[in-house]
Amino acid sequence: MSYREKIAWLSLIAMAVAYGPYFMFVARGPSPWEPLPHLHPLGLFALVSIVRMLILGAGYLYLRLGSPREERPPLDERDRAIEHRSLSAAYYVLIAGMILVGCFMPFSSTGWTIVNAAIFWIVAAEVVHYSVVVASYRLQASS
Amino acid sequence: MMQGSISNRIRTLRFMNGEMSQAELGQHIGLTRQTIAAIEAGKYSPSLEAAFRIAQVFNVPLGEVFQWDVKATPLKAS
Repeated sequence: MSYREKIAWLSLIAMAVAYGPYFMFVARGPSPWEPLPHLHPLGLFALVSIVRMLILGAGYLYLRLGSPREERPPLDERDRAIEHRSLSAAYYVLIAGMILVGCFMPFSSTGWTIVNAAIFWIVAAEVVHYSVVVASYRLQASS
Repeated sequence: MMQGSISNRIRTLRFMNGEMSQAELGQHIGLTRQTIAAIEAGKYSPSLEAAFRIAQVFNVPLGEVFQWDVKATPLKAS
């Protein structure tokens, strides 16, 4: 497994660990957050973002120390093609999500529901980005 | 559209050039070992520039490294 594929796996795991529980929590509805409906989701989001950064930081450090310099070469044309493909796929997910959140949700939802929906689509775009990276490296692996 | 696939003789050419490793070939042309492995296995088609560089490393024409294998397709009756 190449260094860049490991980084993509790490990013996927960090997002699943951090944002998975967050979205499960907020999907239960706003009632547990009364009487400060804006403070609790914001604090929780800050907490999961810090958790994600800690996982990524520790993971990067572990992979960097565990991989000799020759296993971390600069991007070549295949890496750039994979990056381009994955970003294109993520872009369409993000655009579709933002159209949904910005153009349709204001007629049916309010406040934190819209904010969390926007965060969800940003995370979904990131998940698509790293998933396409992993899938591309897996499909092109020689054995 | 004409159907076909690209094959290559990189493994053979590496063997004929002193069992050159994938990493060595990659270093010569600025690609990673994994990319050379993917090209060899036919799972990634390199850019034209990279293809020319590979041929240059082995000192052979491009056609001796990469071949276009045409797939025979039956003609449709009009």
